Amino acid sequence: MQENIRNFCIIAHIDHGKSTLADRILELTGAIDKRELKEQMLDSMDLERERGITIKLNAVSLNYKKDNKEYMLNLIDTPGHVDFSYEVSRSLAACEGAILVVDASQGVEAQTLANLYLAMDNNLKIIPVINKIDLPSADPEKVITELENIGFNRDEIVLTSAKTGVGVDKLLDKIIEVIPAPTGNKNAPLKALIFDSLFDSYRGVITSIRVVDGEVKVKDLVKMMETNAVYDVVSLYINTPKEKEVTSLKAGEVGYLAASIKSISDVHVGDTITLDSNPAKDKLPGYKPMKPTVYSGLFPIDANKFEDLREALEKLKLNDAALTFEPETSKALGFGFRCGFLGLLHMEIIEERIEREFGIDLIATSPSVIYEVIMTDNSKVMIDCPSKMPRRELINKVLEPYVKCSIFTPSEYIGPIMELCQDKRGNFLNMEYLDETRVSINYDIPLSEIVYDFFDRLKSYTKGYASFDYEITDYKESNLVKMDILLNGEVVDALSVIVHKDFAYNRGRIVCEKLKEIIPRQLFEVPIQASIGTHVIARETVKALRKDVLAKCYGGDVTRKKKLLEKQKEGKKRMKQIGSVEVPQEAFLSILSSKE
Amino acid sequence: MIKNCYIHIPFCDKICSYCDFCKMYKIDDFIDTYLDSLEKEIKSIYKGEVLDTIYIGGGTPSSLSLKQLKRLFEILSIFNKSKTIEYTIENNFENIDRDKLELYREVGINRLSFGIETTNKNHLKLLERELDLDKVNNTIKICRELGFNNINVDLIYALPNETIKDLEDDLKYIYSLDVEHISTYSLIIEDHTKLGINNTKNISEDLDYEMYKYICSSMKSNNYKHYEISNFSKEGFYSKHNTCYWNNDCYYGFGIGASSYIDNMRITNTRSLNNYCGGKYVKEVEYLNDDDKMEYEVILNLRKSNGIDLDMFKSKYNKSLIDVYNYKDLIDLGVLVLDNNHLYIPEDKWYISNSIIVDVLERKIYG
Repeated sequence: MQENIRNFCIIAHIDHGKSTLADRILELTGAIDKRELKEQMLDSMDLERERGITIKLNAVSLNYKKDNKEYMLNLIDTPGHVDFSYEVSRSLAACEGAILVVDASQGVEAQTLANLYLAMDNNLKIIPVINKIDLPSADPEKVITELENIGFNRDEIVLTSAKTGVGVDKLLDKIIEVIPAPTGNKNAPLKALIFDSLFDSYRGVITSIRVVDGEVKVKDLVKMMETNAVYDVVSLYINTPKEKEVTSLKAGEVGYLAASIKSISDVHVGDTITLDSNPAKDKLPGYKPMKPTVYSGLFPIDANKFEDLREALEKLKLNDAALTFEPETSKALGFGFRCGFLGLLHMEIIEERIEREFGIDLIATSPSVIYEVIMTDNSKVMIDCPSKMPRRELINKVLEPYVKCSIFTPSEYIGPIMELCQDKRGNFLNMEYLDETRVSINYDIPLSEIVYDFFDRLKSYTKGYASFDYEITDYKESNLVKMDILLNGEVVDALSVIVHKDFAYNRGRIVCEKLKEIIPRQLFEVPIQASIGTHVIARETVKALRKDVLAKCYGGDVTRKKKLLEKQKEGKKRMKQIGSVEVPQEAFLSILSSKE
Repeated sequence: MIKNCYIHIPFCDKICSYCDFCKMYKIDDFIDTYLDSLEKEIKSIYKGEVLDTIYIGGGTPSSLSLKQLKRLFEILSIFNKSKTIEYTIENNFENIDRDKLELYREVGINRLSFGIETTNKNHLKLLERELDLDKVNNTIKICRELGFNNINVDLIYALPNETIKDLEDDLKYIYSLDVEHISTYSLIIEDHTKLGINNTKNISEDLDYEMYKYICSSMKSNNYKHYEISNFSKEGFYSKHNTCYWNNDCYYGFGIGASSYIDNMRITNTRSLNNYCGGKYVKEVEYLNDDDKMEYEVILNLRKSNGIDLDMFKSKYNKSLIDVYNYKDLIDLGVLVLDNNHLYIPEDKWYISNSIIVDVLERKIYG
């Protein structure tokens, strides 16, 4: 029955207890019993469980009885980090309501607001929840005030402890009471939104769908409205969170559709599925495609794994439309891909998934934003990779993306944060007090400065108490130059970066010093230089190797010597040969770190 | 045909702080049991070949009493010796005396090796060694009187806080002894030694190298030939036994912790006295195919001044070295020299020979 369905998601700032709350809901609805409950049940990737964050969304259908009525609750889990707001908005489109989780001691944070606004944009009914009330440091009264300040009523708010289970039953009742049932027409032609997909080696592409109108049944011939691909529905099922086959999915329901789809490119997340025999007139609005903001080159250390890397990226792109990639050739690193990401965390996670799930060792080059270059002939070029920067004499001006950056912080850190933002070429916009002790500071800052160690420094300046979020606002002209790094007199294209001219000398010096530390001594002296054009701005030298261990080969124990040499050989495998210089993987990321 | 033999005597009066070899405090009961076991091992394996070299190492073989030494040599009398055999025993100046040296003469020992390591009081303390220079002078004098004309001393350098001046003093003293052979080792701090446990730090790589350069030039002007990375000798007195290792020749190794190279096997004996005395001699066997042997050929021969004899290589393996390892660019880089059909590392690069050897091995051609 459609009126007994509730589709909702949980949104929160990172680490406010979203996944634990989902676990408790699963437990309380009897979907799993306590014995089976691994921590963070919905996070199925190892990586998710280890990092304690949710990367891929996940939908689960739960039965819940209230006042003698059977309800079906479809919980759609969402990631919490700023980089994944795209995925958040995807899951929001499949829901009628959202639970906004706020930590009882941390209070409202930057992403609490960002996610709240996203949910409001999607016209969702919102239930504010104050979680972790069992903590000794919990201060629910203070958080209630904060929530009141952003427009909620005291009686709307539910207090819970996902850890102990307190309040979770009240929350379930509230979901049924407050969140509207889906409104679709089950007699209209089929319209189902693809809000996620993944590749299964046995069943092909599996799509997560929300049926908006009509009904889809096993053996139906369905059509993807954007790509016009047509497939037979092989199976439909819901996740309880065990896989359970169903014969049909009707308007308002959420589930999975498998149709032996072999071609990844036939399925676009955000597309609408309809019946081939009785197609809907028009598509659902779908999603605004997200544009990547951060680019980085990914190269396999083992050149033979280039094709494997392509396959890995294709599979990841399947349920991560925001990931973009195209082949890139580097003189230093060989064949790889220039990849676009939504942000730094997105980048790190993709890199880690490729290394872990696909077993490909990678070198990632320093991330870059997209620059707009106006040439002397007034033509405009977009540059996503420092090595593509045209020669200086051909450039009229360079514009770079700016973001509006909101930082939420306890007020005692205002000083250091403002210092950091000034350092980062930020322009102060305004500052608002949320209560006596917490402020939101807004700055206009170049994105490239955020990409370069901003988060690390923010964390260390504020002992981890501040949170931040950003959105791209516009492009502004800046005095930017390309800084090259030369090893043994040769430019290493993969190490080039675009920097503000005033910062170039300092950056150049830091990078050269870092590289000197990281590059091991070689058979010959290796000069490291930073240059702008032909002008060398910093120089260091890796001295020639002077000595390697001379084990006394005692009593003829040459097996031991061989083992020693084998160890030495192994160590070299993690290095990339650039010209005659062997460079360890870390070198390419060292350019990111400003730690002195 | 095996022509070389190593015998390990693990006992010591004192344990030095840097020592990573198979050694233990001298306990008389153990020694008798050990010698019995050694005898059994030798009898079970030795096939009666005529030997060109025997090397008794340790531990400290000279820490054995005269009676125990007599028993040892009685065991070793089973070996058939060639007329030109090089028969070496290692000694410590603290426990050698005229009686033991006379016994050595009787049984045919013709090469003596002594550990001096350093003469500097502070450094001796760090190494937990003792050295009485009067005793050293006197012992060398007795050796000469008894007719020993092939003597080696060991030197350790690159010790924490050591200066070039300290090294110069050590060398000056060693030259004054006018011995035939000098081995020099830069201090390696191994994990399970006292130095390693105390977290002692090595001197800088650059100073270490400076010391090595100093040793090389100083030895040269004192007429010692640098024939292998760590070894210097007067003309004609290179160590035949150690050279058998670098030539990738076969050898027996008897005793606890000893290594042998027999047929296609590289065997490492157990380091456990219990196992050894219980007849379980072997800890590890590495079976070698031609690829492994060729790899050893590179690893070992490149430590010597004359490097790899390419003709020898070809006749042994029916292949040219260049068809196994594509080392040509390393010649262009100047880290290998090809001369008179020998491939070798030039002396000024010996100190980084491990890296060069790894570079050669990495250039293996498969297929």
